[in-house]
Amino acid sequence: MSAPGSSATLTPAARPEAARDGRTIVLVGNPNVGKSVLFSKLTGKFVIISNYPGTTVEITRGQAALADGPCAVIDTPGINELAARTEDARVTCNVLRDHPGATIVQVADAKNLRRALLLTTQLAELRRPMVLVLNMMDELEHSGHRVNIRKLSEILGVPVVPTIATARTGIHLLEKSIGQAAVPARLELREAAPRSQVALTAAGLPCQDDEYQRNVARLSGVNEIMAQTYTVSRPRHPTFAQQLGAWATHPVKGLLLLGVALYFMFWFVGLFGAGTVVDFFENVVFHRHVNVWAIHAVDAILPFPHQHQTEESEYTLAIPFAPRRGIELTTSTTQVLSPRYTADAHAAPRWWHGIARFVHDFFVGEFGAITMALSYGFAIVLPIVTTFFLLFGTLEDSGYLSRLAVMVNRIFRAMGLNGKAVLPMVLGLGCDTMATMTTRILETRKERVITTLLLALAVPCSAQLGVLMAMAARVSWTAVAFWVGLMTAVVFVVGWLTAKLYGGPSSDFILELPPMRRPQFGNVAIKTLARLEWYLKEVIPLFVLGTAVLFFLDKLDLLTKIARLAEPLVTGWLGLPSQTANAFLIGFLRRDYGAVYLLDAAIGPNPLLSAHQVLVSMVTITLFMPCIATLFMIARELGRQAALIIAAIVTALAFGIGGLVHQLAHGIGL
Amino acid sequence: MSAPRDDYIHCPLCGFEFAKADTPCARGCPLSKSCHLISCPNCCYEFPPEPRVVSWWRRLLSRPELPKPPRDLFSLPELEEGEHAELVSLTSEKVSRRNTLAIYGLVPGSQLVLQQKRPSFIVRIGETELALEADIAREIVVRRSRCAHAVDLTENTGAAQKTGSGS
Repeated sequence: MSAPGSSATLTPAARPEAARDGRTIVLVGNPNVGKSVLFSKLTGKFVIISNYPGTTVEITRGQAALADGPCAVIDTPGINELAARTEDARVTCNVLRDHPGATIVQVADAKNLRRALLLTTQLAELRRPMVLVLNMMDELEHSGHRVNIRKLSEILGVPVVPTIATARTGIHLLEKSIGQAAVPARLELREAAPRSQVALTAAGLPCQDDEYQRNVARLSGVNEIMAQTYTVSRPRHPTFAQQLGAWATHPVKGLLLLGVALYFMFWFVGLFGAGTVVDFFENVVFHRHVNVWAIHAVDAILPFPHQHQTEESEYTLAIPFAPRRGIELTTSTTQVLSPRYTADAHAAPRWWHGIARFVHDFFVGEFGAITMALSYGFAIVLPIVTTFFLLFGTLEDSGYLSRLAVMVNRIFRAMGLNGKAVLPMVLGLGCDTMATMTTRILETRKERVITTLLLALAVPCSAQLGVLMAMAARVSWTAVAFWVGLMTAVVFVVGWLTAKLYGGPSSDFILELPPMRRPQFGNVAIKTLARLEWYLKEVIPLFVLGTAVLFFLDKLDLLTKIARLAEPLVTGWLGLPSQTANAFLIGFLRRDYGAVYLLDAAIGPNPLLSAHQVLVSMVTITLFMPCIATLFMIARELGRQAALIIAAIVTALAFGIGGLVHQLAHGIGL
Repeated sequence: MSAPRDDYIHCPLCGFEFAKADTPCARGCPLSKSCHLISCPNCCYEFPPEPRVVSWWRRLLSRPELPKPPRDLFSLPELEEGEHAELVSLTSEKVSRRNTLAIYGLVPGSQLVLQQKRPSFIVRIGETELALEADIAREIVVRRSRCAHAVDLTENTGAAQKTGSGS
């Protein structure tokens, strides 16, 4: 037996007890065939599932209750071959190596049997007990093709189970079949190279590639199996989804579709999420109720003599269709208690007043944990990320994102990337930290570094995007267009420069397009909830921490000192009021937090910032380091040194370009 | 001494193709200073030269037509969108690139459909839709398949007969 060189390390001695001892199941399969769906159906554990290859970048473990006792299940990233060429393939290969006694459950897309069988022939060389799952039988049926399952099982010598994992069909049968897992029959490989290939290789083309030749031989073996088991019907009329898929990559229709998708995204996240919903939560829920209750509650417990000011709270419910334009439904104005207060000067001071005041301020003061941190976190960030993740989940499940990669490949090439990098970039609009982790789907380090840098520099996450859109409503359309143009230019120039300076090869653009599907609402909803949980766990503590830092700096009277210290940079170079130094200080923790701080200064009855200053701060805060969590993630993915370099570049560029915008606009006299 | 192709003149009467230097006018005709007509060296028909603007437009709008030698091997970009073809060879020097393509089923002998050429190439191999960039597509040598359903029929030689609907 000649095991391929790359997988030689994972060929174990066929252990006799392996079949009996198969208490661990490893789910293996081509990308995007539904391993994760199957995993969650087997274990009842939730994993993020999408309709694009590379959703699973790390292994997930769970427990399944089979008929004959519990069993550990491991979900792995999708692989097309057993060679550890990419990062995620390496993960899968390591799992197989570390669990020599595990039963392999290969999950296959039933309509794409050929590719699955190619992997089967490679897995068969490991000589381990296997079960082959033919998933997505419904799609196979719809396409009109048929698979002779009994015959396939006979030829391969392993149980073959048809399933529709999303509908739970066949899961029970699979659970029973795992006990019957068998070592596959030896599928002999015949050297079957067509004559034309021989002729061409004789003409002097390199032919030293063993692995390639072996795959060619394997495929011809697979074709023989296919001929005996797979029946093809005449192609049917393309469905609407297929038609849409074809449009999505069409040079003209694709752009139109992209435009529609972008507008809808802008409307749903920018106008509806960051406008209507945020307005409601911020002005009605927090300003009128939560904050007021919190102030009353704290005042009742710690009654030191003071008088809260009241402020006007105006709320308009509208259905938006463009920034600052919409159908107004209702408007209401009331007076509410503000966190600002004046202490009664003539009241007799008591020893505990100081402490009471300190605690009071910590919770409901100007930099209070409830009035600032929670209201920023829940009222502003939560609605925006929720709408974004809902939409992103829908897009993911539809299969559109891979087609987007086809559209942008040429453009990304100029930045030393290829179209595949669009996936982390778009995900970065949701959360830069998650996106940094997804850069693993890119094949070379160069691409990962460039994408990570661009993510950290110029891709605002949904929370920040929402805040920026709210700020954009304060400036003119020209200014917004300038901001968008400048950000795009920065992405291109920095990407291009990094590609030139970093050197090294970029990977080929060979991308499989998953079929377009109608997103399942249940899956989108669960996925959104899981991401929100992850997000909130990360955001709220950081918001509270950030607010606490601000609070203590304020109490120690350091805020004004820092503002004075940063004056040459903030006031001199950027031309912003010195108070905004806090925004940048806190922006190191989370850039959207810094942006919210700036937003607070930009809106309201008598804003602190002029339109020009709003633009400058928009530019600076967009280019700012996303958040401390992203920095940690970069350090984890690329190493500490790279993280520090990226952070330095990003900070320098943020202040540099922000300052240039100010100086230029000032010079022209705007 | 061959003049560039563009300098050849077509006689509108007899269709003879000649260079300006071959005309009688160019060989010491005493009227050549004041006469703008061209005389065909074959049939002696005299005609005015094509106005320069017209020839500009013709050059601007026309595609350079190169004679196509009869052949049956093409690189993928030479096919039209929607054409079916059989893969003959992958000429890439990079083994890893050929191997990646092989993993997706692109090996000599496999049937494919070129679905789209712009902005990136999309080929379908069985049920796999694969996007490629032009550089890679250029390295794929194919032969045109005659039959529109060639993919389905040749892929599974005899499959249709062997597994009847009742199996």
